[in-house]
Amino acid sequence: MSALFPKWMNALPTLGAGAAFFGLIGVVWGTWYWATPDYTRVGYMPTQPGTGFSHQLHAGQLGIDCRYCHTKVEKSPEANIPNVATCMGCHAEERLRNWDIHRVGFVREAYAEDRSIEWRRIHKLPDYVRNFPHDAHVKAGVSCFSCHGQIMGMPVVYQAEGLHMGWCLDCHRNPEKHMVPPDKVTDLVWVETEWLARPIAGRNYNGVTPQQLVDSLRRSPPQTCGACHH
Amino acid sequence: MTQHQCPSSKGKVEPPSGPRHLARLNGRAAWRSTEEFVDAPDFREFLEREFPAGASELLSTSRRDFVKLMGASLALAGAATIPGCRRPDHKILAYSREVPEEIIPGKPLFYATAMPLPCGGAEGLLVETHEGRPTKIEGNPLHPNNRGRASAEALASVLGLYDPDRLVNPRYDNPARGRLNATWDDFRVWAERELKAYDATGGEGVAFIAEPTEGPAWEHARAMLRKRWPNAEWVAWSPAAVDEPIAGARIAFGEPFRELFFTERARVIVSLDRNLLEDEPGAIANSRGVASMRRPMTSHDEMSRIYVAESAFSTLGGLADHRVRLAPSRIAAFAVELVRALLRRNPDLPGASRLRDALAALSVPAGDDLQIPMASGESGSFFDALAADLLATEHLGRSLIVAGATQPPAVHALTHALNAALGNVGTTVAYLPVSEERAAPAHAGIRRVAERMRSGGITAVFCLNVNPVYDAPADLNFAEAYARVPARVCLSVGANETAAASTWSLNGAHYLESWGDAVADDGTISAIQPMIAPLYEPAHSPIEFLAMLAGGEAVSGHDLVRAAWRERLGFAEGDARFERVWRRALHDGLLANSAPSPVRPSVRFEAIAESLAGLDVPAPPTSASMELVFTLGAVGDGRHGNNGWLHEKGDPVTKVAWDNPAAVSPATAKALNLEPDPYTARQEPRARVAALSIGGRDIRVPVWISPGMADGVISLAFGYGREVCGLVGTGVGVNAYTVRQAGQGRVVRGATLTRTGDHYPISSTQNHWSLESRTAVAREIDLPIFRERMAGLEHAGKATVKDPFVTGVASLGLAEKLGELSHTPPNLSLYENPYNQSLGNPDPRAIDPKTGAPPAYSTRPQWGMTIDLSSCSGCGACIIACQSENNIPVVGKKEVAKGREMHWIRVDRYFVGDDLNDPEEMISQPVACVQCENAPCETVCPVNATVHDGEGLNVMAYNRCIGTRYCMNNCPYKARRFNFFDWAQSKFNGGLDPRYVPESMAKDSATRITFNQNFIPPRLRAKLDEISKMKQNPDVTVRGRGVMEKCTFCIQRINRARVEMKLQDLGNVPDGFFQVACQQACPSEAIVFGDILDPDSAVSKNRTSHRGYLLLGYLNTRPRTSHMLRVRNPNPAIRVAVDHFHDHDHGGHESEGHDEPAGDAQHSWRHDPVRRTDDGGYTLSLKVLPIPMGAPA
Repeated sequence: MSALFPKWMNALPTLGAGAAFFGLIGVVWGTWYWATPDYTRVGYMPTQPGTGFSHQLHAGQLGIDCRYCHTKVEKSPEANIPNVATCMGCHAEERLRNWDIHRVGFVREAYAEDRSIEWRRIHKLPDYVRNFPHDAHVKAGVSCFSCHGQIMGMPVVYQAEGLHMGWCLDCHRNPEKHMVPPDKVTDLVWVETEWLARPIAGRNYNGVTPQQLVDSLRRSPPQTCGACHH
Repeated sequence: MTQHQCPSSKGKVEPPSGPRHLARLNGRAAWRSTEEFVDAPDFREFLEREFPAGASELLSTSRRDFVKLMGASLALAGAATIPGCRRPDHKILAYSREVPEEIIPGKPLFYATAMPLPCGGAEGLLVETHEGRPTKIEGNPLHPNNRGRASAEALASVLGLYDPDRLVNPRYDNPARGRLNATWDDFRVWAERELKAYDATGGEGVAFIAEPTEGPAWEHARAMLRKRWPNAEWVAWSPAAVDEPIAGARIAFGEPFRELFFTERARVIVSLDRNLLEDEPGAIANSRGVASMRRPMTSHDEMSRIYVAESAFSTLGGLADHRVRLAPSRIAAFAVELVRALLRRNPDLPGASRLRDALAALSVPAGDDLQIPMASGESGSFFDALAADLLATEHLGRSLIVAGATQPPAVHALTHALNAALGNVGTTVAYLPVSEERAAPAHAGIRRVAERMRSGGITAVFCLNVNPVYDAPADLNFAEAYARVPARVCLSVGANETAAASTWSLNGAHYLESWGDAVADDGTISAIQPMIAPLYEPAHSPIEFLAMLAGGEAVSGHDLVRAAWRERLGFAEGDARFERVWRRALHDGLLANSAPSPVRPSVRFEAIAESLAGLDVPAPPTSASMELVFTLGAVGDGRHGNNGWLHEKGDPVTKVAWDNPAAVSPATAKALNLEPDPYTARQEPRARVAALSIGGRDIRVPVWISPGMADGVISLAFGYGREVCGLVGTGVGVNAYTVRQAGQGRVVRGATLTRTGDHYPISSTQNHWSLESRTAVAREIDLPIFRERMAGLEHAGKATVKDPFVTGVASLGLAEKLGELSHTPPNLSLYENPYNQSLGNPDPRAIDPKTGAPPAYSTRPQWGMTIDLSSCSGCGACIIACQSENNIPVVGKKEVAKGREMHWIRVDRYFVGDDLNDPEEMISQPVACVQCENAPCETVCPVNATVHDGEGLNVMAYNRCIGTRYCMNNCPYKARRFNFFDWAQSKFNGGLDPRYVPESMAKDSATRITFNQNFIPPRLRAKLDEISKMKQNPDVTVRGRGVMEKCTFCIQRINRARVEMKLQDLGNVPDGFFQVACQQACPSEAIVFGDILDPDSAVSKNRTSHRGYLLLGYLNTRPRTSHMLRVRNPNPAIRVAVDHFHDHDHGGHESEGHDEPAGDAQHSWRHDPVRRTDDGGYTLSLKVLPIPMGAPA
């Protein structure tokens, strides 16, 4: 009889329970860590058509304002992608330079053929979020930085934030964390270094404090389901 | 449906067997259907269940299939997971060279256009386009006909644009090789070769069959064609057109005229079988006018009185104060009696002597159908009372008498005479001349052309947006004659019978894709401009096609319309002033001041008297020789046959969706043994199939009961029974055109119905979402009582009520005292809810102790809605507007029968009266989610998917819903809808394209009734037709399977309005800044929406009026939507108004007693014996009271 079940097997139930317990903890933790947008989506950086578009160069080094290209961000729920003609405003034939032709050839081609460039979309909210008005957020004084990260430093744009609901609500519950003076909304470097880098109590721009900005809102940021989901 | 599936109903106590009291409305019983009236125990069981039997069954799959398919889908699921791991690659395509200046990506643009109506007239519309994609149609606020409102047909027409069965390219029936796909260039080559021969004879042998359209561009194109082929035959064909009105005008005036009504000026309207509110060129304007005279707010407000004699309930008949059900042929007798009574009372009326002579000679067969009951003690007849009303001094020149399409010309002529004699011409009615071409007999042209086709006189025929193969009179054998013509060309938007029978079927442009113009009812020239380039390019509109035929080259519609308008307005080419006019007209959607001024033709009494003498009034019809009335169904004359929205909306009176059963009165059905099988807990209703025989032609029709119809009358709608129509419309209903003969208008005598052994399932929504056993759901009061009560209240300084939500004062208005709220304590809530005791003056306990912020619901805006039953006619435009705005899917006939229709707003229709066969009234009550402040649905949701927001909306987070349906179960209003399936992917909504369904799973690929797509994993499921997808509103989620949904007051519009306010640095959204979809559509302006905390808003004025009441308010749900009771204005000689406040007044509570805050109201509200036996909700409400039950104090 004794040969059938060796003695050490008596420990199996205990070991099994222990393994199940830690395994469960591992699964929960793993899901928590790997299966959330903060892990699955942050850093998404698809290859863009042609040679891509360097925000670091255009917005960062050359200092082009966001709204020069994303023209309707203050007027529309959607921050539009510029049309090809906007690119050609600077990269047209007569401004041709030698190094230029390799990098913006695809823009010129698209313009010549009057077709769109198929940019890959990076920031995409789920289909059941039907209302994210860029215009209202910009108007309220939420900097581009808060959602899109330091775009001015990105040679290739990637997703910097998780864009999940808890992340949205964090700001809607505590708007003073992210509100910036209205004229500094698109000044991402300033926002990162001069404003958001400081503790909330220490932020002051010509006498404007976060609390003043929050008080100036006619309506506190909505936290109801219907604000975004309909 | 024989299974009894609901496990929770097992072992349930049988419902009480004693007779139940029907809900009372203004002293009479109110009921929805025969089943409810008869109160069969089996039906009661149905009512008490949450869903009809089989509601939780799968689409059409048996259990055995289920197991089989589950296996298949598991295999597919395995295959599906591998591609499922990849992140989908989304592309953004921006504009390239130019962005049109006005386009802001992400924001809709609105353009004005017009929709031509089948019988002349046009609706001025405003179309919402998202990045060039029309999604929603609204009324044009500048258009004289629409004034911002629109009919259901116009609202649904956007679906026609995205119809997946539209013709995509020209097809040629090659004699040798059969039907081939072709191009427009092929057609042009063919036309050049084949049609050249006709140039020699000036087009002899060519015929054009087109809609009777008007407008400068249309005439311009025709003139171009006439230049090439002066001898070509031109036929204007509309199956809905009738001759009688024009013939009547010819008798009365010697020339053809048509009427233009100003219903807002009419104090007395007498309708002889004419529904002014539907299927008329001026229906929207008429609805607006009629409604404006039907909503008194104070004791001295004017209100019109409407008398209707009609054969079947119409929406106007439902609104009427006195309705007489009469067979169409007997309405002439009604008219004769009316004139006799008028002449008796006032022998000096203009033209009296001639009419008197004519009437003296006329014998009208007696019938008890004209014995209309009068108020007790009244000596005169109904007609004396009606005549006295018309001749009352204050009504002279303010009345309106109209006759409908079923009436003979003499009756039409008589109405013209009466309107002239009563001085109405110029105030309530005006006349506009009609061209001789339009006045030609409706069937003469099609008959002539059919004969010529048969005899070989016509060798080339062009059908432009008409479908005569389907809808031509049956005795012409049009299809057979058409087939004899060697060259048959059909231009049509959708697939239809004529296109299928033609040698060339050409794909036409939808009106939302083309340039053109149309003439509105009042003569205003309205611009039609394209919202989008044709989806299936190239496609041409009829005017472009005509111009192409005339010149051989393709001509742009834009140039045609411009040229036509410039000529019409007399501008030289290149005149800059024309450019201004043109741009203005395109912006406004109409050419300003283009309406001709009405004329005042003199009435020829002698001719009218002469025609009257020849009037043939038969005896009332019997069940052996019945009268068949043709009506226009939900899909019009058949043109919207493939439009699922209109099919599913169904008929406003019978509430039958997806069918056109022959409707008869309950007594007739009983006499002929044709009563349908009733709705019970175990079975969906089935109609008896009968053979309808008339003039030697037979058709098998299902028979359905419609209370309030005249006995011996059959009502059958046109537009159904399409054979070549598409996925949605083919084979829906029966084709009424197959029994109609040339020359017959809307009524034919001598029909018989014979019972056959067959049954036919009918999907009627009349019993769905019933608020059964709840009393005072719809409320009504008679005008004299209203005035008397209001005068007393006004005298006491209580002309308005205090809004109990805003003020926290429990004051009951007049309407509230007609219902339970006067019997229940002011607050029954088990839990105190300090947040919403009073919005205007919130409970201090609700103030946030930390921040001192006011309670959520006390800050503006707080949204609310009122729905006025007094002006609602029940037309159903709100249903379609909601469907279009909120991406509501179509579910189809079978699913409607199971009670799965998804409409967020429904229109409940009640018949009122104690006689099943002859209900006195019909009342329509739109019900959507009422946004309860104490919402019962919210407390039962296990996942908080439905919660309240700070503005009083009961919002729904679809992505959070797990589909328990608890909320639906707990909603007393039955306003919630559940997605049993992925409706958005069903064939009615553009899905289930067989190309995407695995071959082995398709049951029958020929009819495209394919595999149940719900068993295919979503990723591999039938892909949506790309075109059908375009109709969706991008601001609203397309809900998936297993998700609950409901009305949220168009929250997307609220959110957008709020953002606009923010961008403009403005404060609260001003009243009227935006409208919700149903409100915007309502032609009667019965729905009002706004901020109830704004004392000046229209909605708060309605809420605080004495006509407002809260539906089921006694449940203390605190609904944000209040309904407004209907006021009727009966003629005291015919029906004496009774003060029904005393009926349930058990202890003489005068108004003062109720207006006090509750504390001392220690009387009758607690106990109402009648209600206690009937009304479970009432009894329950009594149980939660802290006061022990006992005898009433």
